[in-house]
Amino acid sequence: MLSYLGKRLVGAVFVLAGLSVVIFLIARVVPGDPVRMALGPQAPQAVVEDLRKQLHLDKPLHVQYYYWVSGAVRGDFGISLMTNRPVTADLKEYLPATLELVLFASILHGLFGLILGIVAAAYSDSWLDNFVRVFAYIGVTTPGFVFAVLFMLIFGYWWHLLPVIGRIGYGVTVPPTITGMMTVDSLLTGNLPAFADALKHLILPSVALSMGAMSQEARITRSSMVENLNKDYIYMSVAQGIPRRIIMRKYLLKPSLIPTVTVFGLGCASTMAGAFLVELIFNWPGFARYGITGMLMKDLNVISATVLVVALCFVVVNIIVDLVVAYLDPRIRLQ
Amino acid sequence: MSRSWSARMGKIALTSTAFVLILTLVSTGCTPAPPPKPVERMLRVTAANVPKIDPAIGSDGAAAMGQLNLYDTLVFPNPDGSVRQHLATKWDVSADGLVWEFTLRQGVKFHNGKELTAEDVAFSMDRLLKVGRGWAYLFKGRVNKSEAVSKYVVRFTLTKPFGPFLSTLVRLYVMSKDDVMAHLVKPGAYDDFGDYGTAWLQANDGGSGPYKVKEVKQGEYVLVEQFKDYWNGFKSNSPTSLKIIGTTEPVTVRTLMSRRELEISDSYQSIEALKALGEIPGATVALLPAATMNDLMLNTKKPPTDCLYFRKALAYAVDYATLVQQISPGTPAPIGLVSSAIAGHNPNVEQPTYDLAKAMEYLKKSKYYGKLDKYPVELAWVAEVPDREKIALLVQASCTQLGITINVVRVPWVSLVDKCARPDTTPHGNIVSMSPDYPEAGAHMYARWHSSGAGTWLQMDWLQDKEFDAAIEDALSTIDWGQRLEKYKPLQVRLMEIQPAITLMQGLTRMAYQSNYVVWPAAEAAKNKQPVTVLMGYSMYARDIEVYPEKMPK
Repeated sequence: MLSYLGKRLVGAVFVLAGLSVVIFLIARVVPGDPVRMALGPQAPQAVVEDLRKQLHLDKPLHVQYYYWVSGAVRGDFGISLMTNRPVTADLKEYLPATLELVLFASILHGLFGLILGIVAAAYSDSWLDNFVRVFAYIGVTTPGFVFAVLFMLIFGYWWHLLPVIGRIGYGVTVPPTITGMMTVDSLLTGNLPAFADALKHLILPSVALSMGAMSQEARITRSSMVENLNKDYIYMSVAQGIPRRIIMRKYLLKPSLIPTVTVFGLGCASTMAGAFLVELIFNWPGFARYGITGMLMKDLNVISATVLVVALCFVVVNIIVDLVVAYLDPRIRLQ
Repeated sequence: MSRSWSARMGKIALTSTAFVLILTLVSTGCTPAPPPKPVERMLRVTAANVPKIDPAIGSDGAAAMGQLNLYDTLVFPNPDGSVRQHLATKWDVSADGLVWEFTLRQGVKFHNGKELTAEDVAFSMDRLLKVGRGWAYLFKGRVNKSEAVSKYVVRFTLTKPFGPFLSTLVRLYVMSKDDVMAHLVKPGAYDDFGDYGTAWLQANDGGSGPYKVKEVKQGEYVLVEQFKDYWNGFKSNSPTSLKIIGTTEPVTVRTLMSRRELEISDSYQSIEALKALGEIPGATVALLPAATMNDLMLNTKKPPTDCLYFRKALAYAVDYATLVQQISPGTPAPIGLVSSAIAGHNPNVEQPTYDLAKAMEYLKKSKYYGKLDKYPVELAWVAEVPDREKIALLVQASCTQLGITINVVRVPWVSLVDKCARPDTTPHGNIVSMSPDYPEAGAHMYARWHSSGAGTWLQMDWLQDKEFDAAIEDALSTIDWGQRLEKYKPLQVRLMEIQPAITLMQGLTRMAYQSNYVVWPAAEAAKNKQPVTVLMGYSMYARDIEVYPEKMPK
């Protein structure tokens, strides 16, 4: 297993190195003069040129890449033209907010996707199965921001049941920053009112964000379980007198989980990619919104850093998924 | 057999689901939220983004709103475009118009408790020029020297006479030198001054304004609270705090308004969204005059829009009535190329009307008549502002009747900024809106047509007319306000003659607000057809607004 992990990590380094070149070039291919965009049309040309020099934009592309990579490996992504702060400082502030959202959404889609899939498989072809299937179709075909708008209208506009913007309510004592995730920090500091309030703020955006992945996982789990349920080895296991709970846990659920885990990994990554509109609607001060705004403003350092972080998340999630799948399926380990 | 196992798993799954749901509901105390508590007079507004409150960094609408509530300026704008005393109680200008001296009000305190002096004013100007962003472009190249003559007298020496200098001072936000110097981060981009306090001033203020920073949540909001020692005092129902929320999402704004968690909306809501906001009980849509002009900039360096008669034909082919009645109801019809809401506007220019016969007359005089099929016109609208597509399609429909081929093109803003750097890449027609930096016709005309700004999105018409440059420079160097305004007038006539652009509509700011418990002077004045300060951000001077939380509907 360790050698398997080692191979995946070495592969990841090459993937990230290749990605860094692509990301750097893509950021510079996007049309628009970043400095003029930042300073406005009336800024004197001398000021524009000064800033261009500060950002090394007056240098050839390969020299710019050298500056960027040498900074990036030290965790220095330069200054954001948009916020006028180091991009690293911005990431420290925005990334935990999105990670919290994605983490919570992932727990939701992982848990409920699996549960719905199991329920649908257990009662296959019953009304419950049909209900889950219709729910899953709707979930898969509807973008997250539609759910966000819908939930806001139902739980915010009509019922006033849950908060609709931000991460914590006005007047609630904000926990000191430890991880940057409001729920985690409030728990770590024992601030339960802040925890409850932060959790309330998380519910609508994270549920909206998780709907797509949850539906996909429910569909995959169901079909995988239904397929395995009728396989010969299950009948043989019964005939051999193996206890039911062992058959269920070891011989049915475990192999059925392999495609679900793969889809779960992709779901985690897609929630991160799809967080932008949900963050926009719930005024969630997150990384996805920061990145997209940076792209619209052609903030080169922000574009490069955010795309690299998203790529890193994809790589890490993929490695984790591969490891879990290898654990569940010994054939992959042995290969 | 396996069916019964799976059913058992299903039961476990269902039980787990129920358990998780109950846990979530219990942990969050998921009961209907209590109605908002009217405990304090809070004014919550939405804006296009979270304001950049450092005056040397931010200069958009949200930034202006934040800065003018946190900082004081030497002079304060009047609705007619003139200025009145504020920090400065009197001022003098030398005969050559180069030296300006301001006598400061005594006893004005910064939020840190220290007294505001001439040294702080000079420091604020120096810092603004050195950092070079934000409002610096108003002073860069114009202010040569800033100095404190005495504790309460500050002197600015200009590089050349600039009449509207006084008007531009509404954007010189005075900050405490001590505050900034105590928070320098070294090394920084500004030599001995390190970062010139830019890091600290993102989440703090060094001002003396009616409000002081309480909390800045990057990407979320800026919260400011009353400064109790403010020299000019407050009304009894002025907001105790002001929260500027960085969102313009229609569904979010609507939800917040309906929950009474928002008092004034941003000005970026669509007509449809505003209609929905106006239907919320107690909410009203305010129509505030604005200095913004929505122009169709015509590239005068590229055929066929390089031909005056062709441009004139286009001007008479625009259905102005449909624009102001159906596409943007309530918007004032244009009179010339400068807003009628600002000082120095000439109401006596010849404004084209929708007249296809006259358009055809001009078209026949054009050198491109008879070969129009060889000269299709590219008409660009900014992708981020979908409403502009309607305008482009309206122009296209009229021009088709004249035999002009109009290709309507959706262009992302970053691409348009790139394209307009050169005349050959700038589209023939570009629908863009623009506001002057200070409420004078000269500000608009200089930014839009003086050759120094060529190659930016403000000048996609590429006029580059030396005669016009000289005339606008002469007008701007005139110190006397009345004389200067008079000099602007013939320039507007000249512009209409050469037609580098077509004004489609004048600006109108639409914002919904809770009229049953908020008294908003700008909205009231606009409703009563009284003049309103059109300078960006100034309608949101919170000190003038009154909030009555006890009148908030249940």
